[in-house]
This record gives sequence, structure tokens and C-alpha cells, in this order.
Amino acid sequence: MKKTLALLFFFQLFFLSLMAQTLPPVDKSPMDMSYYPANYPVLKIQDKPTEALAARVVYSRPQKAGRTIYGGLVKYGEVWRLGANEATEIEFFKPVKIDGKKVAKGRYTLYAIAYEATWTFILNKNTDTWGAFKYDPKKDILRVTVPAEKITETVESLAMSFEKTTTGFKLVVAWDMVKAGLPISL
Amino acid sequence: MRLTAAILCCCLSLYSCQEGNKEEKKEPATSAIKDSAPSNRSERPAVNPYNGVDVSPMDMVYYPVDYPKLKMAHTLSTPPLARVIYSRPHLQGRHIFHEVLKYDEAWRLGANEATELTLYKDVTVQDKKIKAGRYTLYCIPHTDTWTIAINSNIDTWGLEPDTARDVARFVVPVVRTQNSLEYFTMVFEKKEAEAQLLMAWDDVEVRLPLRF
Repeated sequence: MKKTLALLFFFQLFFLSLMAQTLPPVDKSPMDMSYYPANYPVLKIQDKPTEALAARVVYSRPQKAGRTIYGGLVKYGEVWRLGANEATEIEFFKPVKIDGKKVAKGRYTLYAIAYEATWTFILNKNTDTWGAFKYDPKKDILRVTVPAEKITETVESLAMSFEKTTTGFKLVVAWDMVKAGLPISL
Repeated sequence: MRLTAAILCCCLSLYSCQEGNKEEKKEPATSAIKDSAPSNRSERPAVNPYNGVDVSPMDMVYYPVDYPKLKMAHTLSTPPLARVIYSRPHLQGRHIFHEVLKYDEAWRLGANEATELTLYKDVTVQDKKIKAGRYTLYCIPHTDTWTIAINSNIDTWGLEPDTARDVARFVVPVVRTQNSLEYFTMVFEKKEAEAQLLMAWDDVEVRLPLRF
């Protein structure tokens, strides 16, 4: 009986490994997307968007998994891919302004540099790439530095969402016990 | 030994009960923001006041295959040709075709946000030209074929596709496989001069040929 079970187990492992070789497994850091206006796709099928579609972010969500994030996994002062796997993509569906600078509609890659008290967001035009391993500052559109805020609860999975502001909206990025917002005006 | 077997049986039946519960609420109300994880099966406290993690995780595939990695490695200087962003529901013990998904009824080819196909270049599918741009993809599964619809209503939720905005529909054959695939999977494959968008779940595989 034990032998049969063990055999079954190994067969299962074998088939699992076969499948894993042919088709992509589920990512450890799953991808996600957020829109501005928040939940735009759901509002759209309910016929109640309050504002025109303005932005979308597509990113992968690493987990803290007990690790030290800031000053550990994410080194202070170094370009961070702000996600995992494919580079984090932010798309503007209309022209916007960030830090007083005009940004044309289109797709961009978003990186960040974390410091203890501030974060610098980097908007870069090298899209459809992987992580920040070959980050090219020559392709930067702009950089903007914002305060890094401490939060009281630990956010396990990196989270991004858009929030309305008086001048437009902001992209709020939260992970571990820190959050930072990228202000965007319309 | 008998005890072990009994425990195993118990576990299995418990598990199937849970699955039964899940099937009953297969689609969340449209007011639901995301298909959020049932609280009884969270492995770690899911404290995330900003954005919970989806049960059906999102994924992205490019053509050429692994384009972002190739671009990072500087082995490609041409733009990508196509990209799909989709969410990956899983079987969780269910039989998908014909139990969860009904034949001849539209299925969103994923979960949550509508599945998105970006064509970076005009493409020919079964002798029909499709212009570069972003589209929603959905399908209508039948027993031996699937109808794949390319639709212009983008940035929407997968449920209730607006069929009036179909750009084109294609009928492709169903291939039955020996293995059952737990997670719904979409991936581009290169076949001679063609790209094929493979859609696979449970014991079904379907391929949509694309010529750039």
C-alpha cells in the first residue's frame, strides 16, 4: 500500500514536471492591473463610469514573505523595478502632467528609487522589457521625488491603486510598511 | 495503514465539499471589484488595505515568445508583434467544459478584467486582416470547435461581451489532451512563419493562427 502510494506520488510529480516544461506555470509574483478611474472595467459594464478613462498600471506583485524589503531586498538609492518579472507598465489614455511636466498619452515603464524618507519615481520610455536589469537613464521621460510614508500595517503583496486628488489623481504604491504616491494631474 | 487511508478519504471528501461550495458561487456579482479569496482558505493574513491579491492571477504573454527577456538581453531590436494579458482561473476539482462553462455560450477566456490582445502590427488570421491595436478577446466553446471573437470594446470587465462590437470571429478546432491542465493558460507558439495563440485548460487545447 505504502509502495503504491509512493509510486503514485512519483508518477504525479513526473507528470507535473512534464507539464511544467511545456506550458508556463503560474507566476510566484502574480500580475495585476489597476485603472483610473478606479475599477473602470467594472464601472464600464455597469454603465456608470464617473470620469473618462485616464490611466492603467500593469505590474507584478512580489510578496514580503518574511523578508526585509527596504534596505534589504530593495536597496536604498538603487533603481528598483517596482514589481517583478515584466517591467511595470503605466499607460496614460490622455495627456497628463506630472510635476508640472507634460506627459503625452501612451505606454511607459515605471521604476522607482527608494530612500528612507523619499521615493523617486522614474517614467521611462523603454517599454515591453523585463525588470530593471538593463535600465537606461537615457530613456527617462522624467523623475519625481515624493515623501515615503510609514503605514501601520504590513502590506504583504506589493499593491498599486489609483486615488482621486484635487488636481487629478495619484498612483499609490504600497508594500511592507511604506507607501508613496505619484501625483498626476489632468 | 487503514487509519491513514481513512484520514485520506476524509480529507478528500472534505476537499470536495469545499469545491462544491465554490462552484455555487462561480461568478461574483458584477459589483465585486475582484474575485477575492474566500477568507477560510487564506494561508497568511491577507492584510492589504490597498488591493487584495486575485484568486485568478493575471499573466502576460508576448510574441515573439519571451520578448521582454529577449529585449532585456539586447538580442532583439524590433518591436514586439503581439501581447495578451489575461487572468488565470483554475480547475479546483471542477470539470470546466460543459459543467462550469456551457457550450455555445460566450466565455471571457479568463477572469476579472476582459482578456486583452494587443497587435503591434497588422495581422492576418484565416485570410482576414486585423489592424494593429488593442482588442478584447473572448470565445464561444462548442464540443469540437471554438469560436474566437476579436472585439473592439476594450478596458472592460470580462462578463457580458458586447457582441455588436466584434471585429472578426474565427472558428478553430478543439484538440483533446491526455493531461488535465489546472490553470487556464494562454501562450504564443512559433510554427514556421506563423504565430499560434494557444489557449489551454482542463483537457482542451485550441490554437488561433496569426500571420504577421
